[in-house]
Amino acid sequence: MIASAFLRWSNRLRCRCITALTVAMTAGGASSAQADVLDTVQVHGFMSQALIMSRHNDFFGPSSQSGGSLQYTEIGANISMRPTKDLLVSAQVLSRRAGDDNSDYEPKLDYGLLDYQFVTDNSRVLGVQVGKIKQPFGIYNQTRDVAFTRPGILLPQSIYFDRTRAPALSSEGVSVYGEEHLSSGMLYFQAGLGKANTDNNVKNTIWDSRVPASIDGALSSIGQIGYEHDSGNIIAALTVAEANIDIDGPRAAPDRYSFRPIIMSLQYNHGYWSLTGEYALRRQSFTGGDHDDHITGESWYIQYTHRFLEDWQWLLRYDSLVNDRADPKGRQFEADGRGAAHSQFARDWTLGLQWNATSNLLLSTEYHHVNGTGWLPKDQDTSDQYWGMLLFQASWRF
Amino acid sequence: MPKGMMILVSMVVLLLWCGRVAYAQESVVLIANPSAPIGDMTRETVRAIFAMRQRTLPGGEAAHVFVLPDKHPLHERFTKEILGVYPHQLRLSWDRLVFSGTGQAPNEVGSVEEMRQRVASTPGGLGYLEKGAVDDSVSVLAVE
Repeated sequence: MIASAFLRWSNRLRCRCITALTVAMTAGGASSAQADVLDTVQVHGFMSQALIMSRHNDFFGPSSQSGGSLQYTEIGANISMRPTKDLLVSAQVLSRRAGDDNSDYEPKLDYGLLDYQFVTDNSRVLGVQVGKIKQPFGIYNQTRDVAFTRPGILLPQSIYFDRTRAPALSSEGVSVYGEEHLSSGMLYFQAGLGKANTDNNVKNTIWDSRVPASIDGALSSIGQIGYEHDSGNIIAALTVAEANIDIDGPRAAPDRYSFRPIIMSLQYNHGYWSLTGEYALRRQSFTGGDHDDHITGESWYIQYTHRFLEDWQWLLRYDSLVNDRADPKGRQFEADGRGAAHSQFARDWTLGLQWNATSNLLLSTEYHHVNGTGWLPKDQDTSDQYWGMLLFQASWRF
Repeated sequence: MPKGMMILVSMVVLLLWCGRVAYAQESVVLIANPSAPIGDMTRETVRAIFAMRQRTLPGGEAAHVFVLPDKHPLHERFTKEILGVYPHQLRLSWDRLVFSGTGQAPNEVGSVEEMRQRVASTPGGLGYLEKGAVDDSVSVLAVE
């Protein structure tokens, strides 16, 4: 039912976009070159639905109740075209529900950009992007909502957690990128400047108070450099970012929140198996008013995936989050009466299985055994320290 | 070395050698539309173009990439022998571009014959064929 509604919706979208493009092209005087441009139009989309069943704590809806939670849905569709040989124009809308977040499935612009490649020769590619751009934050961020690009149903939450996904996900601005072809592999970089995105989740995370305040994204930056050895057998990358958010609250309250993560990523690909590790230092600060508070969190995971029988892949991952390196077990946090010690860390063992039933249908399941609630929503700080969850997901794309 | 072991080792060597011969006979080659000379391309450039990260050919023309389905044996051989990656890895890199707005998917063709025809009729067209299946309608590119 949902699938057929989505098909109708995406077909309508496709028709409208193609009609709009055709009208635009005809208005400019049709020629064979413009007909070629229409040939470059592509429409793609995806849809995934998960069932989450958990013990003790809730994740994305009332997952610990009998029957579990179906409140994890991702639906997206995009269109792209190449008006000239150097230029790519693309946009994607995303409707994502994760627990209470976006319970009415409101679609939002996920990205919308112009990508111009001004150098493309045998030794290098250089390009610039303008618009709403997905951030190259670690290995998985840019397509984190597309199940087909994830090794499991959930990404390692210590680095790709949901609470503050908006500023990490995308920004409105400009970005330059390049790749240098070497005899041994490829060196690449991307650097962007723009306005950080915010949402209610971010607000609740950084402004944990009943006193009214509003937040707004400020000028932020991100840079990633990386190296792919051979044909990507070894991938190493370093991401440095600074996301700034202005807080408009009462006097003496901080007026600026800054998130300045450094992420180191390393992946070894051996055809049918991969070993991936990422380590992040997450520096956060509240400044202005009477405040000059700094906290540095630490996240890392190590993940093994193995593809077998061609269409099956299993995954084993250990993922660790510490909110404050100065108080890794949360003892001081609890002694200060700010909440449970176990809300300050999370150690997650994940075992997962994926099956590409067809090239467009992916069925996944995974089990998490977690110690700590560091990446659960804040209203669950009173919850159990040890908990687990079992997830199933069906994903379809075109 | 015992006699049985000698025979076994000889058989393995012979099999490996035969495998190499078969491999050499059916080699897969990179083909292009003959309208504009592209010149030789480096392996990294071929990878960048087939991974859909690079949109124009070194000669300046827009690249139009044609591929067979992921499970087609020729596609598998092309990705492994020329690009040095497995089809599922290539598919993942396409998905990452397509769903982040930074690239497009390649044009998928249903058969080897369609591959030849589409590359031959599309300026800037790039694809692959078995060496023996190449005719005058397409040009063969050397990969440095």
